[in-house]
Amino acid sequence: MRIQVLGILVVATVFAGDGFAQTSSPDGWLNPDWNKPAITAANRKPAPRRSLAGMWAPAEGPGAGTQAQGVQLKPNNGRPENELPYTPYGLQLYRAHRALEGKDAVLPGNDNDPRNRCEPLGVPRYNHYNIRLTQFFQDEYKVAILYHYDNRWRVIWTDGRTLPKLVDGGVEIGGELREPRFFGYSVGRWVDDYTFEVQTIGMMPDDRVWLDSTGRPLSEQARITETFRRVDADTLVWSETINDPKVYTRPWEAMRMTFRQHDPRTDIQEYYCSPSEQENYNKVFGNPAAVTKGAP
Amino acid sequence: MRTASFVALVAAVGLFMTAPLGAHHGAAAYDVGKKVVLKGTVKEWIYSNPHCLLTLEVTGEDGQPVRWIVEGQAPNVVFPAGYRKDTFTFGDQVTVTVEPVKNGRPLGRILAAVTADGKTLGAASSQSTTPSVNQP
Repeated sequence: MRIQVLGILVVATVFAGDGFAQTSSPDGWLNPDWNKPAITAANRKPAPRRSLAGMWAPAEGPGAGTQAQGVQLKPNNGRPENELPYTPYGLQLYRAHRALEGKDAVLPGNDNDPRNRCEPLGVPRYNHYNIRLTQFFQDEYKVAILYHYDNRWRVIWTDGRTLPKLVDGGVEIGGELREPRFFGYSVGRWVDDYTFEVQTIGMMPDDRVWLDSTGRPLSEQARITETFRRVDADTLVWSETINDPKVYTRPWEAMRMTFRQHDPRTDIQEYYCSPSEQENYNKVFGNPAAVTKGAP
Repeated sequence: MRTASFVALVAAVGLFMTAPLGAHHGAAAYDVGKKVVLKGTVKEWIYSNPHCLLTLEVTGEDGQPVRWIVEGQAPNVVFPAGYRKDTFTFGDQVTVTVEPVKNGRPLGRILAAVTADGKTLGAASSQSTTPSVNQP
């Protein structure tokens, strides 16, 4: 699979570069350009049909995808309109999560966020944690999304296969039980030439993954619906709705973020989670910062 | 070696941005809104994940050296604000404005910095960008 995807990357990179042929690239290592001119009627170009290919990043700037205070549309700030429709079990889960962000944040060192052990964040949390320069590649069978954070990637199948059946302990495919996955099982289809809809199920159980950095929960019964709408050649709107009856009483929209096309040759700095660097950080800074005032 | 003086400025309104920084570990540890200006000597600059760490030796109010450790966000996050692997080097005399932690220890996060060569940088977070570094 890795070899196959790498092949896609090479081919897609070659073709994706055509539209940016006039952009200079000093030394061949292009920095991210966060000061692009606004898209107007004068410079707007039509989107290609049935394509998500490219390098995308939040249109409002490098920090717009951080979502440190929780998912984009429902920041965990205590305002009534942002309270989530928890089931009793969902609320119990939330209260068991000791997050470093949001209205119930704890001090560094007192948290139990799987992120801080460098666990995979899973889908959809990669949509809600520092989503920055994000690459999309596609062929006739699939779309691959390469997330910036921790160099993670996922595959969305577009070859007409059906979504597996969600069952206890995972999903059922061809009468067999298949394992739950951090990235779940995703299939996508073009609703029209510019709108791509993705369904994902079969994620890890609720003791392995969180929804966001504020400790909102997600369970293995979740169904995630994502919509990618090409507004024009440079603009993509990425939406996400969560339907998780174990944790939430009704479906709700977590994200509707506008992304801007970047030069596909842009150099992407690594943004990894290294257990040893995390440990050093906690030792040097995180744990001393969390000590109660006056404590030895 | 005696280093530059230590000056604490509490709630220096309007001098620097006060937007939430969205740190890796949240803001719960910080005395949000408080600012301390540190003039000191660079001992170490670690440009790595999950956060960059700058160690400064500063002369405290009692004349004794105090070793501060102040953080920025991850390299890819602070890059648009102009922070690089060699922004600070051992022995540099720099001025760094930080938001300190609540517990009184010499720890904080970088709100602004003036490097040894006089370059002024903003917060070491997603909120700052330096347009000149982004031009192709």
